[in-house]
Amino acid sequence: MSGCGLFLRRAAAARARRALVALTASRRPLRTSPQSRAFAKELCLGKIEKNGVFPFPEVSQDELNEINQLVKPVEKFFLEEVDSRKIDREGKIPDDTLEKLKSLGLFGMQVPEEYGGLGLSHTMYARLGEAISLDPSITVTLAAHQAIGLKGIILVGTEEQKAKYLPKLASGEHIAAFCLTEPGSGSDAASIQSRATLSEDKKHYILNGSKVWISNGGLASVFTVFARTEVADSDGSVKDKITAFIVERDFGGVTNGKPEDKLGIRGSNTCEVHFENTKVPVENVLGEVGGGFKLAMNILNSGRFSMGSLSAAVIKKLIELTAEYACTRKQFNRKLSEFGLIQEKFALMAQKAYVMESMAYLTAGMLDQPGLPDCSIEAAMVKVFSSEGVWQCTSEALQILGGSGYMKDYPFERMLRDARILLIFEGTNEILRLFIALTGLQHAGRTLTAKMNELKRGNMSVVMETVGRRLRDSLGQTVDMGLTGDLGLVHPSLEDSAIKLEQNVFLFGRTVEALLRRFGKPCPQSIVDEQLVLKRVANILINMYGMVAVLSRASRSIRIGLRDHDHEILLANMFCVEAYFQNLFSLSQLDKDAPENLDKQTKKIAQQILEKRAYICAHPLDRMS
Amino acid sequence: MSCVRAALLARGLPRGRAAICSAILPGAPFSQVSPLLPRGLHCSATPYTSTKSLVPRPSEPEKKPGKVPAPHEELFQRAPGSARDKASFVRAVQSFGQHNVRKRGHVDFIYLALRKMREYGVERDLAAYNLLLDIFPKEVFRPRNIFQRIFIHYPRQQECGVAVLEQMENHGVMPNKETEFLLLQIFGRRSHPMLKFVRMRLWLTRFQNVNPFPVPRELPQDAVELATLGLRHMEPDLSARVTVYQKPSPDDTRDPADSIQPHIVGIQSPDQQDALARHNPARPLFVEGPFSLWLRNKCVYYHILRADLLPPEEKEVQEIPEEWNLYYPMQLDLDYARSGWDDYEFDIDEVEEGPVFAICMAGAHDQETLARWIQGLQETNPALARIPVVFRLAGSTGELLAASGLEDSRQSQREGQEEDERVQRQQQGQS
Repeated sequence: MSGCGLFLRRAAAARARRALVALTASRRPLRTSPQSRAFAKELCLGKIEKNGVFPFPEVSQDELNEINQLVKPVEKFFLEEVDSRKIDREGKIPDDTLEKLKSLGLFGMQVPEEYGGLGLSHTMYARLGEAISLDPSITVTLAAHQAIGLKGIILVGTEEQKAKYLPKLASGEHIAAFCLTEPGSGSDAASIQSRATLSEDKKHYILNGSKVWISNGGLASVFTVFARTEVADSDGSVKDKITAFIVERDFGGVTNGKPEDKLGIRGSNTCEVHFENTKVPVENVLGEVGGGFKLAMNILNSGRFSMGSLSAAVIKKLIELTAEYACTRKQFNRKLSEFGLIQEKFALMAQKAYVMESMAYLTAGMLDQPGLPDCSIEAAMVKVFSSEGVWQCTSEALQILGGSGYMKDYPFERMLRDARILLIFEGTNEILRLFIALTGLQHAGRTLTAKMNELKRGNMSVVMETVGRRLRDSLGQTVDMGLTGDLGLVHPSLEDSAIKLEQNVFLFGRTVEALLRRFGKPCPQSIVDEQLVLKRVANILINMYGMVAVLSRASRSIRIGLRDHDHEILLANMFCVEAYFQNLFSLSQLDKDAPENLDKQTKKIAQQILEKRAYICAHPLDRMS
Repeated sequence: MSCVRAALLARGLPRGRAAICSAILPGAPFSQVSPLLPRGLHCSATPYTSTKSLVPRPSEPEKKPGKVPAPHEELFQRAPGSARDKASFVRAVQSFGQHNVRKRGHVDFIYLALRKMREYGVERDLAAYNLLLDIFPKEVFRPRNIFQRIFIHYPRQQECGVAVLEQMENHGVMPNKETEFLLLQIFGRRSHPMLKFVRMRLWLTRFQNVNPFPVPRELPQDAVELATLGLRHMEPDLSARVTVYQKPSPDDTRDPADSIQPHIVGIQSPDQQDALARHNPARPLFVEGPFSLWLRNKCVYYHILRADLLPPEEKEVQEIPEEWNLYYPMQLDLDYARSGWDDYEFDIDEVEEGPVFAICMAGAHDQETLARWIQGLQETNPALARIPVVFRLAGSTGELLAASGLEDSRQSQREGQEEDERVQRQQQGQS
């Protein structure tokens, strides 16, 4: 049945491709505005925003040299001096390792140069992250320090705050931590209990509260803390709002629990942090009073993109380790590398690494464009894709080694444990999927509503366009978004994949419209509560973003003649075909009354189980008499 | 001898069907054209009541001053010092076989044994039933030609066999292969007991788990445990906590209603606790009851603490706070109208009821006891102290009357008092 649905969709898509090349081609705009519109949001409208995505972002030769100079000593240090196994066993990063990291300047990678940091761009940060990723515990420690811990100061700190804190943080003299999560509050900001009250002389805030699972909580001396404060509204009423503070350990009343015993990233320090009547000077308020919520969102959104390059580096390392084993180990007088089931795993790892890299550097390139573009969806997509990819790949790599992989003699079990956290922190993948889908749908909804209002008002050009599009849709037209053809942005050897992407995007735009029409109004249940629908929307978006990233990157590689670009073509085409069919399946599931859609059954099963809080079925050996 | 007994027995039997059965000499050749077809064969689906059982009752003692013992009663006479258990039941049945090599009067004996099973506590024991069936002589009652097969062959014996199966069915005992083998040997493949057997094999399996809220077979004897079971049975939320507010005074546990200190067991879920904490203190709460709940053959009574449904204008509209979710928008304010596309729900008129905040089961249904329950509740629900509580205790439900006549007078006395107290209490609550 589902196969039938797939076939119909493909037929429709193929039909859609045939006509109307000329029209879209003639309308292809020559954008002059430097600010590109958010790429992922436009995908929801069934459009590919080519600006900023094609061609694949590049760095200049000077920057490249600079990065390589930076990366070399770091890589050398990690390969020769860092003993990941020992860090994992002892649950602590040795002090001399930390000192060396500080001397390498790794604690201030994104701190501007005038404050003593390296002042790396996003792209360079991602590249340097690859070298650091060789030890996950150190990666997490560094990320907690600068991707979230001190990010608030860089983003909204005043000049005084920056001058006071950033130099010491950049040098690693002080370590930063980000204190948001509370026992009763994960993603729910409304249940934050920590409270800061203004003292009588209005010079201090008295901070009280407990924070849990704080990375670097035991090492840090500077904390970004989020707490409730009373804020007078414009109409005079007093409201509780969240405010961010820079809290030094020396302010007093800061204590931390003992480090948590974790499954993975055991070398990183995670513990509870308690604030008891901590006096925070008023000038240490980060950003505006009451503006903590937005700041927290911004910090969280900005920290995610780097996970792609880190994960890709981990997978590259995995491939090296396992390939050696597969090419030496013999069974039945044949090497493991000759078995198809083993080969499949290597192809999978290579493909995942390739897509991750492409997505990560594309996003980093977009972020480095002038004008602080909002790439939070893209960053979230990179995070979801790469965390799941790296989990799958470590598992497969362990599988290649079989029983040996399960032993502590090999690093695979440690890497598997370490990889597991990626699916959880910085926003669990489930929550990020909702974020991706809802933000995309919100954008699409607003645009479409605006169009509807135009229609109602009787704007003739909009009416004509809508009617025309409906007509074309019903007649069966082609999809051409300008990726292929004579003036195409994608290299001809990737043409099939590009066409597949265009079809996906086209159908996705139509599906989003239908979804909004079905679930748009909040009653009885709005689309916000249709989480299974949102999950599919997010999956499709992630796949399409991955397709764009690999197409753009592979096209560039071919055109400038990078070495082994034929291999890239293979990987890109393979991913695109896989993603295309996955997307078609998801799209058909999103149809109304699709036989592929088992959401109702899924929900019913879950409800029955949760009612009893146990597995329901009788044992297969049970008898009636 | 057995003939006389049978005749005597017959007079006491209320039902014509049974009379026919027992008027016939046991084991004697039987006129095969019975004027009355035994209906009992086809009424296996009728609900179980003691009067509808296929087992003929012995004559009522008060109607007959001179008590005539049922045939073979002496076999079940209690031997001094021996308990009534499975072993003694088996011994009694075996002794019938030993004393009576020709198995004379076995139908009467089986009926008697069926009646005695409950006393011996073997009414749910499959082996005991198989033992009873084993008393029937084998091969004798099997029809041998087409005419025998058309007309009921040995109807009294067949009816007795059906009665055994019927009693098994009433107690939910599933026959097994051995039963089938015995029935085949005794009555043959195409007989009424066999038909009954096949139907039981089909339907017992289907009905055994038909109740989605199963009650354990053996109910606890202890009043507190029984109350706990009943409360758990009613409360759908598994995180609800059962609290014993008051234990029954130990000297008088046998009849909790009479004890000086009746037991009070209550249940409340965290959600109910939250709802109670949010309750507007200006609106009174009501303690209502007793309502009845049947657990197998026991009836227990419970009281609820409830409030009236809030009028729509007082309902708080849950607002989505502006800064709530750190990760994704909690609502999309779009102007798209939802057409009836994805709305497959039937048009159901749902009547909303007021919230129930707690349930309790107490040994006594008077206001004094229930006030103690409310006091106990106040410990975990501080908000309750500020809310007026009105006791609306309905005197006695119909089932309560039926449960025991003895309780009635006491109940009505209590009602009088309650009425007064209630008025007082209501006045206090409203003032």
